[in-house]
Amino acid sequence: MASADLDTAATGSQWLDKETRETLVTVIRHGILLTWSFIVLFPLYWLASMSLKPPGQANALPPEWIFLPTVYNYIQLVQQSEFVNAFANSLFMVSASVVLVVLIGVPAAYVLSRYDIPMERDVLVWILSSRMLPPIAVVLPFFFIFRALNLFDSRIGMVLMYISINLSLVVWVMKAFFDGIPETLEEAARVDGATQFQGFMKVVLPAAKPGIFSVAIISFIFAWIELLFGLVLTSFEAVPVTLFVYSFIGSRSIEWGMLAAASTAMIVPVVIFLIAVNKYLAAGLSFGVVIKE
Amino acid sequence: MSTPTQTETSNTQGLARLRDLWNDYLPYWFMAPMVLVMVMITFFPGAYDLYLSLIEEPTLNIFAAEFAGLSNFETAFTRGGAFHSFVITVTVVVSALFLESVLGFVLAALVSGVEDSNRMKSFYRVLFIIPMAVAPVSLATIGRLMLNTEIGIIPYVINTATPFAAPSFLSDLPLLTVILLDTWNWTPFMFIIFYAGLSSVPTTLIEASRVDGAPLWRRYVHVIIPYMKPVVFVATLIRMIDLFRTFGVVYGLTQGGPGTATQLVSINIYEQMFINNQFGVAAAIAVVYLIFVIAIANIVIAKVGFEGVWD
Repeated sequence: MASADLDTAATGSQWLDKETRETLVTVIRHGILLTWSFIVLFPLYWLASMSLKPPGQANALPPEWIFLPTVYNYIQLVQQSEFVNAFANSLFMVSASVVLVVLIGVPAAYVLSRYDIPMERDVLVWILSSRMLPPIAVVLPFFFIFRALNLFDSRIGMVLMYISINLSLVVWVMKAFFDGIPETLEEAARVDGATQFQGFMKVVLPAAKPGIFSVAIISFIFAWIELLFGLVLTSFEAVPVTLFVYSFIGSRSIEWGMLAAASTAMIVPVVIFLIAVNKYLAAGLSFGVVIKE
Repeated sequence: MSTPTQTETSNTQGLARLRDLWNDYLPYWFMAPMVLVMVMITFFPGAYDLYLSLIEEPTLNIFAAEFAGLSNFETAFTRGGAFHSFVITVTVVVSALFLESVLGFVLAALVSGVEDSNRMKSFYRVLFIIPMAVAPVSLATIGRLMLNTEIGIIPYVINTATPFAAPSFLSDLPLLTVILLDTWNWTPFMFIIFYAGLSSVPTTLIEASRVDGAPLWRRYVHVIIPYMKPVVFVATLIRMIDLFRTFGVVYGLTQGGPGTATQLVSINIYEQMFINNQFGVAAAIAVVYLIFVIAIANIVIAKVGFEGVWD
């Protein structure tokens, strides 16, 4: 594994002069990295190009590399009220869940960071354990309870499930962020006569804004790509967009062009979000262990 | 935490008391909603799964339930295919975790070695995280599109450019296909965390080992990786936990088939529940799975320790 990083400044030159070796190393390095770039990009290009090909050309083999892009598939897609509904559903349910999970998780993370909580370690592991529960094991009880409470196929129910996916993430990441904000900030505010709550609202929260922003977007992504909860807990009213795309795959004769268009439409907003938060992503995903860039 | 003054009128006194109640118990108010939701999403499902697994027919009236003893568990492991699905799941988790860690680390090391002035560095860094944006459902679409024996580009390229005949990926190599697709999807996760971890290794530490004349691989094995231990540990643990949750891509790709070749535990539970209507059997598998996953995660946490992860 280590040999892959051919450090340009490696010691000991026996069989090639320094300059040639450095050039060679650079070539190999970029060769590998460009190969992986191709592996990353080609499937995405293929999906997108499939969605932009006119119906007759979509499945043609050998593939028609040069084609006149058309938005035919997208128009077909948007004309289906089911797709528009599912997309709007997902946008609403996922956004609502993100707002709520931040409102619930951020204050709790603040307390975990600033106060001596009895058994703090256990509390944190307990929170992490909610991520260890496989969704399929969680969804089974909720299927019954949702039916009993009339929450089956409701947006409120789905929002609740999306909160359950992301709560541990928000608490862990935000605790790490608050740990990194010096306590003297609030103490200064307290000296100036602010209550603890005011200190939190006016001093700590603004300082933690980048963290809140990135954790919100990561939560959005995890909820946005979720399939299982939609599959089990909805039937018509609260169907998320993942389920709509899935129903395409499941159908007997697949309309490849439209399937590709729907799949692409699901990816695009997330790619934009990901690139926007790429700076904070590492801290977010590693629950705050890695903060430095 | 101001104390109410006696001179205030009773009305403002009431408000002040309310405010004090809010301020004095702030940590409790701040924690309460989180604890409430956590109890709901951890204890409740676990308890309900256990209850469902022990009864004959699901009923909301707990007192009317007929207890089935351990027969649901017995059915799960004899006719329910539970054992098979555990083996499949562990295979996928172990192979994908291994591939993603190694690949993620190699890519991170290669990218962080790109000359600083080079704009390629940020190009690679942003580009390499993109597959994470692909939802499992979309990934299944890509897989079906590109691997399809009739219209897929990959079998076509293999058939025309090489002397070999392309295998039928989804029916002959379903498990390998699932593992490789997951690797494509989630190597970025390992990459981005390892990349940040590598960047946080102090340059003085690397310089020192370089002066000592340590060869490259020794520098990694004895200096860099030990320094990054907490990062490696958390990345692997989180990815492992998430791999145990895998559902969407397999469901979209093969629905557990052909036969039961890709029947992960999550797929198995889903089928027992919604196709066979065997709620008790599904719950029994879920209970064993819960214990299994939490036990493994706890063993990993205890074994590797959490030093460096906590304050």
